[in-house]
Amino acid sequence: MTGTLSTPAPDTVDLDPDRHVPGVRDPGFAQTLRAEWIKFWTVRSTPWSIGALVTLGAGLTVLVCAVSAADLATGTTGEAAGSFITWGMTVAQITAIVLGALVVTSEYGTGMIRATLTATPHRGRVLAAKALVLTGTLFLAGTVTAVLGYLGGNWFLEREGIGLALGDDGVLRSLLGSGLYMAGIGLFAAAVGLLVRHTAAALSIVLALLLVVGNMVMLLPGAWGEWATKLMPGNAGSVVATPVSFNPNLLEPWTGFAVFCAEVAAVVLAGYLVLRRRDA
Amino acid sequence: MIEAQGLTKKYGDRTAVDGISFTVHPGRVTGFLGPNGAGKSTTMRMLLGLDRPTAGTVTVRGRSYADFPAPLRQVGALLEARALHPGRSARDHLRWMAASNGLPVRRVDEVLDLVGLTDVAGQRVGRFSLGMGQRLGIAVAMLGDPPVVVLDEPVNGLDPEGIRWVRTLTRQLAAEGRTVFLSSHLMSEMALTADHLVVIGRGRVLADCSMPDFIAEHAASYVRVRSPQRAEVAELLRRDGLEVTAVDDELRVQGRDAAAIGELVGRQGHLLHELTLVSSSLEDAFMTLTAASVEYTARDRTPAGATR
Repeated sequence: MTGTLSTPAPDTVDLDPDRHVPGVRDPGFAQTLRAEWIKFWTVRSTPWSIGALVTLGAGLTVLVCAVSAADLATGTTGEAAGSFITWGMTVAQITAIVLGALVVTSEYGTGMIRATLTATPHRGRVLAAKALVLTGTLFLAGTVTAVLGYLGGNWFLEREGIGLALGDDGVLRSLLGSGLYMAGIGLFAAAVGLLVRHTAAALSIVLALLLVVGNMVMLLPGAWGEWATKLMPGNAGSVVATPVSFNPNLLEPWTGFAVFCAEVAAVVLAGYLVLRRRDA
Repeated sequence: MIEAQGLTKKYGDRTAVDGISFTVHPGRVTGFLGPNGAGKSTTMRMLLGLDRPTAGTVTVRGRSYADFPAPLRQVGALLEARALHPGRSARDHLRWMAASNGLPVRRVDEVLDLVGLTDVAGQRVGRFSLGMGQRLGIAVAMLGDPPVVVLDEPVNGLDPEGIRWVRTLTRQLAAEGRTVFLSSHLMSEMALTADHLVVIGRGRVLADCSMPDFIAEHAASYVRVRSPQRAEVAELLRRDGLEVTAVDDELRVQGRDAAAIGELVGRQGHLLHELTLVSSSLEDAFMTLTAASVEYTARDRTPAGATR
């Protein structure tokens, strides 16, 4: 190093950053939340994902109910009508996963994360705001979708005399549960996105875990297979979203959802630690 | 005011920034120069709290960047690579940034106007040219009307008019009393814009001084002499203890000014066709200083796999 400061500062003008905005208060969580809300809705992937979620979730429920109502009424399927009334959500969860992953990985893919973290260096606050915007939106969209599917699907079931009333066991719970599960699985994907920072990788991991591994573990022998099946996030979390589960061996709805929440929380915590420690 | 003290960044075994210390003062444009891989961008990322230093500190107005509740009102930054989502419009990008720091929405229109992007503010930034992207980056930097401005390669991709605009803007920002820290690989541009220089190479500070001092110290000027009696003139000057180098049909003479050389040659009755003082440029000075610390040097016919 050759010499440090050769000349004194030419002047001591140091501008006060608050000079133009007297009385302005320091931004806090509300500002971060507002920023994340704007970011969330100003890219096309969000309305597309939400649109797909509603269309697939409600549409497939109605379709499945329409097709199987007659068989359900005669009892030839051996399944309960309650297993079909939110069926579309099992497909719609893929759109929630895509949206959740993109909320995080698109920032890493485009370099946006650097703008985000220079605007709000408090990384925990950024994550909390992102999580709140994502889960709030997915809860609402998921619940509305389930309600639409219920209204449409139940119309066909009622024609066969096997309609479900809102007051029937588990129906209202499954509608709200659909919203809760969509929010949870979206957040799960976002957290995996924080760990791998890559859209394709995050999607592959979450979808494989849910759709492949979640079913493969049933092949494990004895109690191992039984418990692994119960505890896999997709299996534990989705019971709350349906009045009657196809698989009778899964956990009780709220027990399962509690397990699912704990699993999501663990991955979010890991994602937070990585976000805090690693260079952006 | 920006202060780095013993700032160090290591990636595994590789040391990107090696214990550098420097101060960037308000009221002038400080240029940040260095060859590729010298650690400029890493230093700027640490300054903005994006990368964590392995050792040492870098502060703005005495505080770490991450400690500012509303950093955009303190430090405006244009990052080297685009930090934008291509599917978002320019206005929306500025809107969320303004919201994050509690800045009024009118600032969005003000900075769009400042950089001349008002007409295309609703377009997706993915369709922007490199120059438009740079202008948006400068709009982002100016959003919080910050007293400290950090610009990484701001003229990259700009047309001559845009380059001139950035030069005027940075000079003006410094004149307003702001601290302006600017990196550029365009030496000629830096020479016109910066008052002060911090030069780094291989992660170390090579020079920290004013622009004229830097040029005077690190690049020698010479007098170009052309004469039909080249050999005699060269012999004469050498005998007088001057350093003479013959290049093509000219002589490059160092150690005395043009007038003295002219008189010396004239007294011997030799003819002169040219006698010109050639001042060295910032680029020459930079090349001289960093020659030893260039990480990637272009070489002719280096056998593949040859060790450096």
